[in-house]
Amino acid sequence: MTMMLVALLIFAVTYILIITEWINKMLASMIGGFVIILTGIVHQDTAFKAIDWNVIFFLIGMMMVVSVLRDTGIFMYIAIKTAKLARGIPLRIMMYMFVATAVISAFMGSVTSIMILVPIVLLIAYELKISPIPFIVTMVIASNFGGAATMIGDPPNVMIGSATKYTFMDFILNLTPPVILITAASIGLIWLIYRKKMKVSNQNRVRLMEYKEAGLIKSRRKLFWSLVILALMLLALGLQAVLHLGTATIAMTAGLAMLLMNNRKKVDQVLTHDIDWITIFFFMGLFMIVESLVETGFIDGLANRVLAATNSEPKTTSMAILWLSGIFSAIIDNVPFVAAMIPLLEKIGIAFQAKNLPAEVMNPLWWSLALGTCLGGNGTLIGASANIVAVGIANRNGFHISFKEYTKIGAVFTLVSIVISTLYILVRYF
Amino acid sequence: MLLSSYLDAKTIYYEPAEKSREQIYREMVARICHHYQLPICGNGLIDLILARDAESSTAYPTGIAIPHVRMEGFNDTLISICVLEHPIDYDGTPVNVIILIITDKSASKLYLNIVSALLKLSKDESTMAAIRQYKDGASLVAGIKRIGITIKENLTIADIMEQNPAYVLPDMTLHELTAMMDEHNQAYLPVVDENMRYLGEVNILSLLKVGVPDYLMMLDNLNFLSSYEPLENLFEQEDILCVADIMRRDEEVLSPQASIIEAAHEMIQHKKRFFSIVSEGKLVGVVRAMDIFRKVIRA
Repeated sequence: MTMMLVALLIFAVTYILIITEWINKMLASMIGGFVIILTGIVHQDTAFKAIDWNVIFFLIGMMMVVSVLRDTGIFMYIAIKTAKLARGIPLRIMMYMFVATAVISAFMGSVTSIMILVPIVLLIAYELKISPIPFIVTMVIASNFGGAATMIGDPPNVMIGSATKYTFMDFILNLTPPVILITAASIGLIWLIYRKKMKVSNQNRVRLMEYKEAGLIKSRRKLFWSLVILALMLLALGLQAVLHLGTATIAMTAGLAMLLMNNRKKVDQVLTHDIDWITIFFFMGLFMIVESLVETGFIDGLANRVLAATNSEPKTTSMAILWLSGIFSAIIDNVPFVAAMIPLLEKIGIAFQAKNLPAEVMNPLWWSLALGTCLGGNGTLIGASANIVAVGIANRNGFHISFKEYTKIGAVFTLVSIVISTLYILVRYF
Repeated sequence: MLLSSYLDAKTIYYEPAEKSREQIYREMVARICHHYQLPICGNGLIDLILARDAESSTAYPTGIAIPHVRMEGFNDTLISICVLEHPIDYDGTPVNVIILIITDKSASKLYLNIVSALLKLSKDESTMAAIRQYKDGASLVAGIKRIGITIKENLTIADIMEQNPAYVLPDMTLHELTAMMDEHNQAYLPVVDENMRYLGEVNILSLLKVGVPDYLMMLDNLNFLSSYEPLENLFEQEDILCVADIMRRDEEVLSPQASIIEAAHEMIQHKKRFFSIVSEGKLVGVVRAMDIFRKVIRA
């Protein structure tokens, strides 16, 4: 019991440090992780075993893939092409960019797509002489929506995918449909909110149309082979159930193949600049800290309370998870939230099993967690990593996006998306 | 070791007549070749000296010229001095003492130390006046020996740095900064406070960066842009921002006692061609990669 309290205290302090960012979040999570070991709550071996290496190596592999793909210029090409396809008309650019961001996020991760696309949108807005803020806000929302659609789109999904037996295809079949519905609804919302704003002169539109995006592809051969590897990676992920290969193995294979093929000379640069070691170590620390709550039985107790509160009813539990994760993810970073929720759902699964309920009853619970955390991330400025990154870029360029300004738009989209998800879960699984 | 130990009265002479540079070299070479066995002598040696003179000026503002020849297989260091009654024009610099140094290809450190000792000597007005009074080699050697000028074992940054460099103050506007960079033709300038305490550095790239928005810096490639008006932001901010806003405060600095190899090492390590030389917190000079190139490698 004392151990549980100490573990809970360390967990709370660490999470407060992570959420408030009083110290670097990687430092906070790593210190928390090793304090758990130092205090003897969890033995080093157990703590290290708790690190989900499937998640860690998946992230590293994807960072390699993104690094090489980014180098080909394909993302910038897509962004410029999208703006030109919209013929420089702001509302159209916004809608097209929304879709482009969602699609790129679904396969490359939300933070990556924001880091690549926001600077381009800043440039486009500058050329069109309009405010970039509505574009940035809607793109952040799109990135979190897109990220929710696949197993590899958003860190919470990566973690859920790794902790459960669900394959890449399971995610596509269960999460992509609601995300498509949500995206369609969002396009409608954008039209409602922005259709009468944003006017640009023809003169400024022409400047945009003059962009020569063809020059962005430096080497067609390199692009071709990178895309081949990417396609093979997605195919392998799609065939995961047949191939019996871990997500990390597939991502690392693709990443290493891309490095080998394209960046032979620059491997050290990719490893030092493009692999986000801060994030990697942040994840490792989180896994260790959460393990202390599992080891000391805290998660068990919490699971029992949740089940008691929902009468062990899968439907009620799912709804509770969906809405609570939505709200929590809006307030705190969704990665540490999911890290703590995963063992909770695992315990609930064990409890259901004990009651002789079929294994399928867990499906809506997991999908609710995935949708709730990924979509809830849109709720406020600090709900997801993509939001924080985008606001940071905007700020550095003199566009201050206030908490209120963001939340006004973000909350509407979040509410709409969670309501759609609620209906989807209820209709599809119950 | 004493500078005078390197001097040989037989290779030192006083020239009372008005003569051309080449004539004087001819006389100096004749004396050297008479007393020493050199792999290259006579006209060959004169050609080497003239070739070195043609590359870049060997004259110093203090009125001495130090032509220098590196000779393969010589394996020694030889100094010949000529004191002139009538100064010779060295590309605009009047010179009245010519010091010819012949060394082996590999003996650059000793050579540099001799040069630095000679330069130190030449900055002392009264000593120079005294030297110009000597009419023969023996008394000149004796005179220099009396002064006791020593040749340092090691060359330091203080020997090659630019003293009294151009600098800027933190509250200067970017407009003033660009004027300073333009006037002194410098891409880097040290920043100091009014007491010459070193604060940091500004360089041309930090200045240009004001004109390039952050979001453009985040793009991997700008070759799709053709009509973007470059740097207009810089002109808008020129009178608003000041040096303190763009200066780098965490740049590495060197001490005047640092060795040349340390400076070269730091330059390569930090990919930085410019170092402020700071002693007890105060700026005492600057050194550029070109200084090492000119004063050490090409010296």
